[in-house]
Amino acid sequence: MSGYALMIPEILLLVGALVALFAELLPGGDRSAAWIGTLAATSAAVFAALTPVGATTPFGDLLVFDGPARFARVSIAVLTAIWMLWTVGRGQGRIREGVALALFASLGAMLMSEARELITVLVALELATIPAYILIGYRRADARSLEGALKYFLLSILATLVTLYGFSFLYGLTGVTRYAGLDMSRLGTLGLVAAVLSLVGMFAKLSAAPFHYWAPDAYEGSSAWAVAFVSTVPKIAGAVAIVRLAYAVAPGLAPVGAVLAVVAGASMLLGNLGALNQTDVRRLMAYSAVAHTGYLLLGIVVISTFGMSATVFYVVAYAFASMGIMLVSAEEGPLLSDFNGLAQKRPATAWGVVVLLLSLIGIPPMVGFFGKLYLFTAALRSGQLVLVIIAVVMSVVSAGYYLRIVRAMFFGEAVASGHALARSRTRSLALALCVVAAVALGIAAGPVFGAIGSFLP
Amino acid sequence: MRAVLSLIIFLPLIGAVICTLLPKSRLTWPRWVAVGFSAADLALVAWVVAKFAPEGGRQFAESAVWVPQLNINYTLGVDGISITMLVLSALITFLAVIASWKVEKKPAFYFTMLLLLEVGMNGAFLALDFILFYLFWELVLVPMYFLIAQWGGPRRAYAALKFFLYTLFGSIFMLVGIVILYVHFGTFDMIRLVELGRTLPVDLQWWLFLLFFLGFAVKVPIWPLHTWLPDAHVEAPTAASAILAGVLLKMGLYGFLRVSLPVLPDAFMQWQWFLAVLAVISIIYGAAVAFAQTDIKKLVAYSSISHMGFAMLAIAAANVIGLDAALAISFSHGLISAMLFLMVGMIYDRAHTREIAELSGIAGKMPVIGGLLVFASIASVGVPGLSGFVGEFLALLGAWGSGLSYWFVIIALVGVLLGAIYMLSMVRRVAFGVPSIAIAEALDASKREIFTVAPLVVLIVLIGIDWNLLIRYVDPAARALMKLLEA
Repeated sequence: MSGYALMIPEILLLVGALVALFAELLPGGDRSAAWIGTLAATSAAVFAALTPVGATTPFGDLLVFDGPARFARVSIAVLTAIWMLWTVGRGQGRIREGVALALFASLGAMLMSEARELITVLVALELATIPAYILIGYRRADARSLEGALKYFLLSILATLVTLYGFSFLYGLTGVTRYAGLDMSRLGTLGLVAAVLSLVGMFAKLSAAPFHYWAPDAYEGSSAWAVAFVSTVPKIAGAVAIVRLAYAVAPGLAPVGAVLAVVAGASMLLGNLGALNQTDVRRLMAYSAVAHTGYLLLGIVVISTFGMSATVFYVVAYAFASMGIMLVSAEEGPLLSDFNGLAQKRPATAWGVVVLLLSLIGIPPMVGFFGKLYLFTAALRSGQLVLVIIAVVMSVVSAGYYLRIVRAMFFGEAVASGHALARSRTRSLALALCVVAAVALGIAAGPVFGAIGSFLP
Repeated sequence: MRAVLSLIIFLPLIGAVICTLLPKSRLTWPRWVAVGFSAADLALVAWVVAKFAPEGGRQFAESAVWVPQLNINYTLGVDGISITMLVLSALITFLAVIASWKVEKKPAFYFTMLLLLEVGMNGAFLALDFILFYLFWELVLVPMYFLIAQWGGPRRAYAALKFFLYTLFGSIFMLVGIVILYVHFGTFDMIRLVELGRTLPVDLQWWLFLLFFLGFAVKVPIWPLHTWLPDAHVEAPTAASAILAGVLLKMGLYGFLRVSLPVLPDAFMQWQWFLAVLAVISIIYGAAVAFAQTDIKKLVAYSSISHMGFAMLAIAAANVIGLDAALAISFSHGLISAMLFLMVGMIYDRAHTREIAELSGIAGKMPVIGGLLVFASIASVGVPGLSGFVGEFLALLGAWGSGLSYWFVIIALVGVLLGAIYMLSMVRRVAFGVPSIAIAEALDASKREIFTVAPLVVLIVLIGIDWNLLIRYVDPAARALMKLLEA
């Protein structure tokens, strides 16, 4: 397969985005834009799934098409498609730019998960996150939304600059930008500084502690609809990118493992404890996102192929659950109290949310359990008992706040919130897909994990 | 029937799905579905018991590959340890369904949860793959959470959350233990691990024992990990209390017998005295706190802690008699505590109070309920001739004959005495005397209510008279376990 054929999913997303931008000229207007987005993302998912693993890499070896890349691309496209499908059902207001931005971000996310070269990953990172700033600030009239977007923008840009600074060191020290040629083993302290600087920027992007402070404010200011996208699709890409980067810089640099371990532990602790008392579902999910970043770093702490695959598996498991819950929040309202009485009003939706929450807690047979099982196995294989114990205790803490959502849905008094959207079939379908994914990926955890395979060097 | 065990596990699941799909307006349909499926399940279990050869080890085995990348398999089987537990689970679920006949608040949801609970319990007792075991073990939490939180008493939300978090806390440590075993041996097969576990260095076994201990001890529950139990019991609806005491607590004991003892024998012997200490503390503590209760349901709940202490002492004894005793107590306490909670439920339905001071003269006003309550209390005390005696007697005998200090037995004997005193003084105050205002209008037990407890009464008496009915199933299993320990 030639280089350009491998890029069909990306090209589909790009074309979709460009068409969606001019959707006002199409019959149906903004609604058509969302349909175009759905179509583009769905077909991108199909083509990404058809891409052979280990195909000859195009463009001078900048991109890699291994198992994890394929898995990440399909997941990114499917999640984007689900989000677009939901957006079709939203059906009002000006959404065509939102659709186009999300498609651009999705395209950036795909490239990011394939990149194995410093400049490429940086460009892809920016392509994935710049649309996300705008999505976060999508409600222009809302000062809080703009505040959130500004915080996100400033922190994210700072993170990018730190990453870039680190990358410049890496290049300066080794003279190469391709991961394949990065040999850190004889660089000493300067090499460590370079590696840590590069990773710190990535940590901030992934909202790992202690660089997570922007996330709750940014999410709270934004609409749940935007959060559903921003907290999931770029996160998958970020996880794959950090895995590849760590794989490139960590061998021969033992302290990097310690840095990762500290960040993982701190993220689990600060994220879960921060989420405990939140009354806004977006803030709650923002803190829980920090916690889940901590979990997925468990797989990277010790550089093993199994652990890296576990990280990729886990981030996708997390993304489906987070997407579903944020979309329900977008329908019902952002506050925990907006979920009150959901079980009476919409029992199927409420049960769907229960399944997603149980997946996040890690109850079998939902996919989140297998994600944690893989991560724990990877960490314990390399003797990281302390981190696993932190993860385990924090899982119980997380059950405490996730069950508050369950409690609101099943035992809270329903109050007419005024936020709630009228029902729509496409939106229900989008939510159902998230729930089905959370269960099906769990039952089929073996084959799915097998499909991730291993990372090509 | 080749896949009879799978059928036993998943038949209630089919029932649960049907319950949710029934039209909401048909309030009486869900209970018929639940009765049908739980009765069919009980019949299947009875068939398995009839075909089961006590000396034959593991039977009705099923196996299929599930997650090849991690060597996780779908492995089922039943042996002497699990068969009595399986009977308990199927029987008590069936009776709980009948006891819930009058549930009018969201009956479809309610019976769905009961059936789902049965899936988890049956599965946990039949699974022989650690991940499968963990799946069913965790599955139990969800329906029980909803049963307590939706149909419970005034503090139900708190009690349900506490139940969920406590047991999750324990079980997730167990998961770490499971994964460590997997990392060492590359298998989740519980049978293989019985052979492999003993090859681990003792200090690693010691840590693994601690991890598994947390999982099982919370479920039993052993003092000081018991605090979720009184809250959960008091707030739970009657049927859920009966299942909780009758079956769920036994999952903890089952874990000790299935995992801690055979897989980590060296560590078990190191921890033996520690288990015994916690066991006698549980016995005395449970009895002493039960003494002070004014709420009849709380009294029964704390008495469970005390009785579970006996079972733990029997396990700690680590000899054939002790293991016989642990299995016998598991089964017998399952029957008796379920019956006690059902009786308390019947009394509460009539009097709308559980305060012992407000309930007097039940036997005079309602002779059948009063009589059954007296019967259950006496059985709980461990009077010879009823099933409760078998286990407690063997437990003391086993502990006496083990390497443990005689003091453990002597303190446990004090617990027996305390148990008799608080139970009988409760009976005296509740059953006899002048009928109180609370029960002035009350009617005696209905035919349905008598039918609910009748099987329990029959079994309690039969086992009490002929121990062999129970011991012939558990003894070969206990001997097999001991053989492993001595090997």
